Amino acid sequence: MRRPARSTALAAAALLASALTAGCASDPAPVGDGGRPAQLTVALGGEPDDGFDPTLGWGRYGSPLFQSTLLQRTADLDVTGDLATEWEVSRDGRVWTVEIRDDARFTDGTPVRAEDVAYTFNQAARSGGLTDVTVLERAEATGPTTVELRLRRAQSTFVNRLVSLGIVPEDAHGPGYARQPIGSGPYSFVSWEPGQQLVVERNDDYYGEQPEFERLVFLFTDEDATLAALRAGEVDLAGVPSSMASEDVADMSLVTVPSLDNRALSFPTLPDEGRTTEDGRPIGNDVSADVAVRRAINLAVDREALVAGVLDGHGSPAYGPVDEAPWFEPSTAIEDADPDAAAALLEEAGWTDEDGDGVREKDGIAAELTLYYPAGDSLRQNLALAVVDMVDDAGIAITPRAGSWEEIEQHLHADPVLFGWGSHDPMEMYNHLASSQAGVEYNNPGMYADDEVDRHLEAALAATDPETASRHWQAAQVPSGPAADAPWAWLVNLDHTYYARSCLDLGDPVVEPHGHGWPLTAGIADWRWSC
Amino acid sequence: MLRLLRGVGTRAAQLALLLAAVAVASFALMSASPVDPVDAYIGAELSAVGPEQRELIEQRWALDDSAPERFVAWAGELLRGNAGESHIYGQPVTEVIGSRLVASLGLMAGAWLLSGLFGFALGVLAGSRRGTLVDRGITWWAYTLSSAPTFWVGLILLYVFSVWLQWTPVCCAGPIGVLSEDVTLWQRLHHMLLPMLALSVVGIGPITLHTRQAVAEVLSQDHVTFARALGETPRGVLVRRVLRNAAAPAVMLQFASIGELFGGSVLAEQVFSYPGLGQATTQAALRQDVPLLLAIALVTAALVFVGNTLGDLVHRRLDPRAAPEVPGRSVPRPDRDAPVEQVSA
Repeated sequence: MRRPARSTALAAAALLASALTAGCASDPAPVGDGGRPAQLTVALGGEPDDGFDPTLGWGRYGSPLFQSTLLQRTADLDVTGDLATEWEVSRDGRVWTVEIRDDARFTDGTPVRAEDVAYTFNQAARSGGLTDVTVLERAEATGPTTVELRLRRAQSTFVNRLVSLGIVPEDAHGPGYARQPIGSGPYSFVSWEPGQQLVVERNDDYYGEQPEFERLVFLFTDEDATLAALRAGEVDLAGVPSSMASEDVADMSLVTVPSLDNRALSFPTLPDEGRTTEDGRPIGNDVSADVAVRRAINLAVDREALVAGVLDGHGSPAYGPVDEAPWFEPSTAIEDADPDAAAALLEEAGWTDEDGDGVREKDGIAAELTLYYPAGDSLRQNLALAVVDMVDDAGIAITPRAGSWEEIEQHLHADPVLFGWGSHDPMEMYNHLASSQAGVEYNNPGMYADDEVDRHLEAALAATDPETASRHWQAAQVPSGPAADAPWAWLVNLDHTYYARSCLDLGDPVVEPHGHGWPLTAGIADWRWSC
Repeated sequence: MLRLLRGVGTRAAQLALLLAAVAVASFALMSASPVDPVDAYIGAELSAVGPEQRELIEQRWALDDSAPERFVAWAGELLRGNAGESHIYGQPVTEVIGSRLVASLGLMAGAWLLSGLFGFALGVLAGSRRGTLVDRGITWWAYTLSSAPTFWVGLILLYVFSVWLQWTPVCCAGPIGVLSEDVTLWQRLHHMLLPMLALSVVGIGPITLHTRQAVAEVLSQDHVTFARALGETPRGVLVRRVLRNAAAPAVMLQFASIGELFGGSVLAEQVFSYPGLGQATTQAALRQDVPLLLAIALVTAALVFVGNTLGDLVHRRLDPRAAPEVPGRSVPRPDRDAPVEQVSA
């Protein structure tokens, strides 16, 4: 959330800088053996303030770097083993049995035992950090390399904790651990200067494939300083906002990574009957409670135009919450950019423009909505403005309004809000659509409820094999899709944009979740110097 | 001796009162803030952290208690010498502040000296050449600097000297990839140079303008005219008559500017990714890290208080008209603050 004044200043300074830097060459990177740099400097942001303790949330994107995880995701979001050699789920879905490899060692020389795995999970379930393992009842080592994870209830999405929770050594885990992490991951910790940089070195004892770069420096600079460092040639890889990604930077090439990071409108699905939540937030909206309005907006929006115009082409149209994931149901995609069809739909549902002011009415209610978006987020602002324009032809008047999240929270259940989501964990989709999640924190803000959707969501959670789970995740998207109940209008999926040295090959990056930057390190072992 | 002791005692009591007031006010402000610390901590992953996990976070931070309870608990711990643990850094507050303050103090001290020296020199130059092109140039420059935001000046400096000319580094307190224990003194200075320059800009403008005014003031007084009539050279007048008199308001201001310096360092450190207290302050405020922010507020208030007190003392030494203040005895000193008041008019 950048302050507007700053963005203006930044833009002006960037303009000035591009004028000044024209034709200015940068220093070559320091060279190690084989012509590749001995050290790689990357500026991806994502500094964890409270250190590198997985039980508090470090590595929750599934790439804890210092620690290794039981499982990991492939580029197309499949799950494969990492520390785990085998894993199975009991028939009732409540007991996960994991067999771990016996040759992994922590960087302090001790072997990774089943006890360490059990300790890590138990610890994470108890600690008030950013990783939610509360569904775990108890983890127990039942053999030197066997761990049993017992859940309170069946939850197929628990696999994501196996993917993201880095395993810590029980004996070396204590108060100072977060600042001096020890693990069995591809890199070992060298030094961290908070607010500045993290230095790591290749872990020569790593059981997996050795990464190519022996030393990495992660710079934790502000966006402005990152851009400056990029232009000064001091970084080899940097995450940049997509609005900055159309410039040429000497020696650097643009890398775009598809992501699940989407932007969407939430619609209140209940009529306004004067009800409020316990803490006094109003519930319901008579306009968006009509499914015809929600469908019409979905139809009228030109998603391709949003991608081209607002994202400068760095993205793709979104029709559901998980377009880039294997559990997306492609049949829910619609032919959009059709204000005429939207108008016909509204006409049929009784929304007509009696007074000729360009806005339809029905039963004395005008088709007017207020769309909230977080102030200072220029991307969401531009999306909101474009959507307002696009639905105008269909006879729906949307007023965009910027607010702080604290303010938006007050309108969450009564007005549309421009949200951003996207996770490797389908639990998020559950939270968007399940009636049990209506009005819980930011989950299901429109208070959508549908029996069929609920049934599929619960079945997906209870599934004990990924195929069944996927089938139900997909089935849940049909009744809640843009052509059906349309409790959301999914707009775009962002591409995350990076500048990398022309010689740096990032391999095949994993489709990224909401959160630009750190997730790129998931594929760090595949980074190569190609010159 | 007794008087000195009593003076110190009074000052200490004042400081204690000030700190108590600052603590209460900051805590009240933070409690009234609409920012939910748990939301701010969770950030983008709102949907990945369920209600049960939120409960755990609240427990860990002891947010279940009421605001007054938390304040009393915090104040009690503080009096026993425990400033608490920072929520977002998961580290004792004293450690966070300790490691950051050293970096910030170096930066601020450098900027403070720079702005004092340059500001005074420019002010004397402008004041003694009143109305000339030099004067007008300096005045214009000073006005521009005092109205330019620090981060903007910082960005310009960053792009000119680091990106374009590549004379200075773009970030951090040491070279990228070099461990802090291996950073040489020269490298430290090199990395401090640009943020220091940007920060000193905060102070230069006001000092220049006030000094200029004071110099002009002194130059127009009778004793100067008299000295000139006796054949004193312009240089002699400046050195013997003007500098001392003009220095007093400059020094006052210089010490009083320590508070602004703090504000400026927050922005300068942000622009240059300089790991000082500024960065920690922004984080603590944005994310409702109450223990850390309270401690920072106290440290800042104490520093500003010390700055103002020092300014007062030095001012009195330099300006004989400012007689020592003795509590309980009122001395008529009609023109004690005269030069300062006139220049600020």
